[in-house]
Amino acid sequence: MAQTMYSKIDEYGFERPANFDYEVHAEFMGKYMHILVRRAQRWSTLKGKNKFTRSSKLKRFIRKGIPLDFRASVWLQVSGAQKLKEDSVWNYSDLKKKITNPSLIDIIKIDLPRTFPDNINFIGQEQLTGQMFNVLAAFAHQNSEVGYCQGLNYITGMLLLATRNEEASFWLLKVLVEKILPKYSVTNMSGLLIDLDVLDDLVRKLDVDIHKHIHKIGMPWAMVTTKWFICLFTEVLPTETVFRIWDCIFYEGSKIIFRVGLTLIKLHKAEILRTKELSELITCFKEMRNHKDIIDCHQFMIHIFQIPGRITDSDLKNLRTKYSKAQNQR
Amino acid sequence: MSYAYLFKYIIIGDTGVGKSCLLLQFTDKRFQPVHDLTIGVEFGARMITIDSKQIKLQIWDTAGQEAFRSITRSYYRGAAGALLVYDITRRETFNHLTTWLDDARQHSNSNMVIMLIGNKSDLESRREVKKEEGEAFAREHGLVFMETSAKTAANVEEAFINTAKEIYEKIQEGVFDINNEANGIKIGPQHSPTNPSLPGATGSSGSQGGGCC
Repeated sequence: MAQTMYSKIDEYGFERPANFDYEVHAEFMGKYMHILVRRAQRWSTLKGKNKFTRSSKLKRFIRKGIPLDFRASVWLQVSGAQKLKEDSVWNYSDLKKKITNPSLIDIIKIDLPRTFPDNINFIGQEQLTGQMFNVLAAFAHQNSEVGYCQGLNYITGMLLLATRNEEASFWLLKVLVEKILPKYSVTNMSGLLIDLDVLDDLVRKLDVDIHKHIHKIGMPWAMVTTKWFICLFTEVLPTETVFRIWDCIFYEGSKIIFRVGLTLIKLHKAEILRTKELSELITCFKEMRNHKDIIDCHQFMIHIFQIPGRITDSDLKNLRTKYSKAQNQR
Repeated sequence: MSYAYLFKYIIIGDTGVGKSCLLLQFTDKRFQPVHDLTIGVEFGARMITIDSKQIKLQIWDTAGQEAFRSITRSYYRGAAGALLVYDITRRETFNHLTTWLDDARQHSNSNMVIMLIGNKSDLESRREVKKEEGEAFAREHGLVFMETSAKTAANVEEAFINTAKEIYEKIQEGVFDINNEANGIKIGPQHSPTNPSLPGATGSSGSQGGGCC
């Protein structure tokens, strides 16, 4: 990985943005390489058949980052995707043979060239493009409620980059959409509308000044945070940061999205409060990926478990119930 | 930069018809052959001149996929103009226009100016929708019509500017209540008699707004 530090293409095949700060990145990588080596050593001490079974030790390990080599198997194991696969009455290769719906095929094909055009693994007829089509079409075929929803293309692309395994990507996509995340991708995105209200509530509790300012300017949360929920920070934050976040989402679930979101907002308090109008505020959110503390994904992952304070599963459940009722009354 | 009026636009239409490319061509004067797809809503702005008045266009570019309508619908309200876009090389995007129009009319203010746009006019060999069909649809539904190419920039300026001219005329005729921001029109800071803190505010937005907004 060291030699790619100065390359224009990152270690996952993405072209670095024009305004990429190589100096900040080099400084971070200097530190991060040591962390990666140490984490890899620590992970190699996990032994036995049940080494990836859910436990407080594994959770702690995961928060500090899963080494690339282990990522696919750990995600499969801790998320329940592996179990989903073992319990399934059909298998993935049979499912792929059933992909025939022409309108579904067309709609996915429109998006293939538009997904990660800046990544060498997805340009033109590269292998991962074909695999992405297979995963998305197979998924849509077996889940007619969701079908194909934009955003799933980005998630699938990232799964393929992390696992380099088409079938694993399929089962991980399935477990994410059907078990881990609320109804973000169904026809009316009801889960997203609720979670946008939940986010608003949590921001108000975290920092009333930021909350007031955002409302004063009149920016709807959907404008800048839809991708947080729909793409799980893909195309929003640097690739390595996204994978570190996903490590925790697969283990701890969708509350991690709020932890990340609240941390992003709080880390940018000064910048947010400085904005005077909508376009400036939107730009501020778009540029969050360049923040030093966010490029340093290791530090960022420490922040997300400190800055937002305590958010339990039951808190989140209650808030979602509250705002789902509010949605129904609108 | 200061402005006399601010008009809010929304761009709608099926996925992949070139909404974001039209916006990029209008705001940045460039074409991106492979554009990222829009998740939710994106935003762009540009200053134009009509009747020697500076008008700022604030444009909301929406995701075309059905699922996103629950998110994008809320942006109709508060829009003075809408560009309803289809792709002349994909018949189904034309067939869906009625649904889009119903949705727009239902959720917007009744004076919103709607411009119908048949995009990708550079792809003549792949054309599936005749220009006359677009014209007929527009006539039938009281829309302004134009064929554009976000790639060659043909008619792109005209589409955005003619929409603004229509809105401007409606203001002159007194059709729009410009004091109600829900109509998607805002009077520029220096033109408002009620805001005492104006000179300062204008100055600062001028220095920070830059080329973007």
